[in-house]
Parts: sequence; structure tokens; C-alpha cells
Amino acid sequence: MRFRWLAIFPLVYVALFILIAWQLGGAQNLATFVIGQRIFVRLLAVVGCFMAVSVFERGDHLRNAWLWLGGGAILILILDVLRQLPGFTDNPSLAAKMTLSGVGVLSNLALLAGIWTLSRSWKLAAIELPGGRGAIVTISTITILLALAVTGPDAYAAVNQLLGGDVSAVLKLVSAVVDVITLCLITPLLLIAVSLRGGSFVWPWGLLTASQVCWLLYDGADGLTRLFSLGGFPIAETFRGLAETLLFCAGVAQYLVIRQVRRGVLAVA
Amino acid sequence: MSISDEISARLTPYIGDFNAKIWVKAVARRELGLTPDALTAAHVEKMLDGLRPSLSTFMGRGAAEDLLLQIGREVR
Repeated sequence: MRFRWLAIFPLVYVALFILIAWQLGGAQNLATFVIGQRIFVRLLAVVGCFMAVSVFERGDHLRNAWLWLGGGAILILILDVLRQLPGFTDNPSLAAKMTLSGVGVLSNLALLAGIWTLSRSWKLAAIELPGGRGAIVTISTITILLALAVTGPDAYAAVNQLLGGDVSAVLKLVSAVVDVITLCLITPLLLIAVSLRGGSFVWPWGLLTASQVCWLLYDGADGLTRLFSLGGFPIAETFRGLAETLLFCAGVAQYLVIRQVRRGVLAVA
Repeated sequence: MSISDEISARLTPYIGDFNAKIWVKAVARRELGLTPDALTAAHVEKMLDGLRPSLSTFMGRGAAEDLLLQIGREVR
């Protein structure tokens, strides 16, 4: 079974997104298009996560991981929909702000729980990661520094906002802290994916790792916008779209590889 | 082909060559106190039992059981 189309799909999606966004320019149409595609990719992510859930049995380690990811994806979809409703957009009340913050915090925690559960797989399976301790320490250090550089300023700004009495900053602070931890967990995901190279299981793990790397780029998009003149082009949305479609494809790949095992379709090399 | 190579070859299409060899080596050492080269047909069942937890973690219990049954049928 060929899985390459799962890696190609997010690239085709993002190419189409860039093409359409570029055509629309800075108009109101662009904002409408961006919101619409955001909800679309969130839906795709939910579908992918629950496809993965469906192939496991109750109590399976990876079922729990995908359930957390799927739950987080649903909550973040709800958050995006709520943000479009009257009462949540212009001048939201304190209750509306608290609702948005609450859903946002829960979605972040669920996604973190999912990535955390996935990243613990190598320990539970008692396997060796490639490259030994040196590779783990080196990649971890690079990832932690990148994560702090990208999300640290947001966390600092959120703390200041919160101290200034802005309740909605709770979501920003939790998001920033969760981002740092989640991005640090790229290391075990990446090393698990590398250890699986040559096997069909590299696809879900590789695509999941790529999705997390895109979230790192999403968090760094503000910096990119400041560095390069992008004429109002929604660069962050591009990375968001890529991250969510990669999560969708990871879920689909997980579904397909498990079905492959159960059918015993792979021949011995 | 040795027993360890036979088992590794059946794991490789799913978990890759690196993991297949490492897992077989680790289970042989942990469960039987043997090197992979010393494995015989008599050790296959014990090897499959030893591989079960790691495979279940990565592919779920159902798929792991299916794969172990398949290996048990083919490697003798």
C-alpha cells in the first residue's frame, strides 16, 4: 500500500491555500476565506484522529493518545465556531471571555495529553531510540531552545496582561506554556519516527512529527512576518493549515497501517 | 536464515529494520538470556510472548495478536 499521497495531500492543500489567499489579497474576502478554511482543517483533524481511534481496542495505549488528540481537536473546533458567533466577537462580555478561555484551555490540555501519551510510547515499549543518549540530548536541547525562543515572548506578554487584570490572557498563558511543553515533545516523536524508518508505521509517526514542527513554525510566524515583508499574507494560517492537514493524514495513516497488520498484507522482505 | 532473522524479517515491513533487530535482540536477552544467533525453533513461543508488550504499545493488542499469530505460524 502506498502512503505517499498522505504526505503529498497537505502540500497540495497548502499550495491551493496560498494560491487562493494570494488572489484574494488583503480584502474582506480573504478574512472570510481564512476563517472558512480554518474550520475545514479543524474538521479534517477531527476526522483523522477518530479514524485512528476506530482501529484500536478499548484500553490500547495509542487509542488513548488519539482520543486525547481527537477531543482536543473537537474543543478547538468549538472554540473557532464560538469566535464567529454574535456575543463572542465584538466587545465580548466577561462570561463570553471566560467561556472562550475555558474551552481554549481544555483544548490545549487535551492536545498536550495526546502528544504526551504518544511520546511515552518508546518508554512503555521499552525500546531503544536511535542515536543513543547523545542524539536525545542534542535534539532535545535544540528543540527546547527553539520552543522557548518561539513561545517565550508570548508567555511573558500573557503574564503581564494577566497581572494587568485581563482574564482572557489566561488562555494565552496556558497556550504558551502548553506550546513549550508540546514542542519539547517533538524530540521523542521524531526519534520514534526515525527508528521506524523502512516500516509502514513510520507514516503516522512521521506525519505527526511533521504536524508538530508546523505548529512550531505557526508559533514563529509572527517573527517571520516581522522579518520579511509579506504584504498581510496570512503566513500563520498557512502553517496552521499544514499542521492540521498533517494531523489528519497521520490519523488516516494510523488507521491504514493497523488495518494492514490485521490483514497481514505485507510480504516479508 | 536464522530464527532471529526470520522473526526480524516479519517485523521489518511494519516497524522497520532498526526496531525489528533491536527488539528481537532485546527480547532474546531479557526473556531467554541468549544472543539472537543462539535462538532455535524451541524459543519462538517465548520470543513472541516477549515481543507482545512492545508490539501492543505500537499497534494495539488486536493487531499485535494477529501479527504474532502470523509469525508463530510461519517461523518454525
